[in-house]
Amino acid sequence: MVLAAKIVAAFLLSGAIGILYRVPRSVVFYSSLNGTISWLILYSLIENGVNVITASFCGSLAVGIIAETLARLLRKPSTVFIIPGFIPLVPGREAYTTMRYMVEGWQLEALSMGVQTLLMAGAIAFGIIISISGYRLAASFKFRNETGNVDEN
Amino acid sequence: MHHVSLEETVNLAILAGEVMLINGAETSRAEETMDHIAWACGASAVNSFVIPTGVFLTVSNMEGRSLTAMRRIKYRTIDLERIAKVNELSRRLVDYRIEFTEAQNLLNNIAQERAVLPAVISIGASGVIGGGYAVVQSGGSGEMVGGFIAASGVSWIASLVTGFHGGQFIYEFLGGLVAAFIGILLQNYYSELNRDVIIVAGLMPLVPGMVITNAIRDIIAGDLLSGISRGLEATLTAVAVAMGVVIALSFGK
Repeated sequence: MVLAAKIVAAFLLSGAIGILYRVPRSVVFYSSLNGTISWLILYSLIENGVNVITASFCGSLAVGIIAETLARLLRKPSTVFIIPGFIPLVPGREAYTTMRYMVEGWQLEALSMGVQTLLMAGAIAFGIIISISGYRLAASFKFRNETGNVDEN
Repeated sequence: MHHVSLEETVNLAILAGEVMLINGAETSRAEETMDHIAWACGASAVNSFVIPTGVFLTVSNMEGRSLTAMRRIKYRTIDLERIAKVNELSRRLVDYRIEFTEAQNLLNNIAQERAVLPAVISIGASGVIGGGYAVVQSGGSGEMVGGFIAASGVSWIASLVTGFHGGQFIYEFLGGLVAAFIGILLQNYYSELNRDVIIVAGLMPLVPGMVITNAIRDIIAGDLLSGISRGLEATLTAVAVAMGVVIALSFGK
């Protein structure tokens, strides 16, 4: 029940981000789906005891792969799918907790939470980098073998 | 297709690049779009260079003449739909599915359409982002409403500040301040609410998603100059939000 509410919330959250960033109306649904799936991956990995940093990395790998696939299928720039996809993964809670610890004078806790925030943000960025460039590499091999030229999207 | 002069080619291509950059496209997309358009109009050599604050383009034609144009970009907004439209336009021009004059008219329409998102919609969408994030962070219905209020308050501040064309990062700073104050106030009145969840939910519309994505994509594409400057913009945005929250928290303890 709680999980269902969270999935609906993640979907609405990504959809609202799509509206705020002016994602073309015809693809808002797909970009929200990307956010929901990536958040679900993050959530289920954390619930099963996987490290948060690894979970963020896996979630953002999914963001990049889904975004590039949808970009090719629907013929839209992949940015349209990446932004609503990764914002549900952003470590906002951790960043905020770091600031709160600093204000309250708990420097050691702030330091460890700050390092965790930075590593999560790095994992998200690197997950997107790996998945986009990996996808491009695979696609260029495939296209070069089939048609002899590379499709740039 | 009728013969397209060098001037017309450069004007069309640089307008496309300018529209793309203003609305938040990444560097390589703006450069590739200008290149494709210029090639489709019959150029013999094209060199384009885009940084977050400017667009440069040199086109040479078959007769050996070349022309350079440059546009300075001062304001940038976010409109993914326009990027998709210009992208589609350049593809159609390359595949000869539209004529040059038709492309010119279409691009002028895209560039001139007034596409400011109505304040009600952007405030409402921000509120949904806040409410949704509160639920995702295990908040109850009280936190959901609180997150909605905090995030739409932040967005309302945005609509006030952008009217004044103030400096960079003021909006993010004020947004952090407002979200934290709303969280603290709500917890003062309803002590069972979780202040932290409300504040984090209120901060979500301030996440610079576009800048982060573009920084990553520029770095991947090898546009290191743009990648670094956009990465710095994202970092400074985060610092501005953090400063706002820290100040509000230390006053409202």
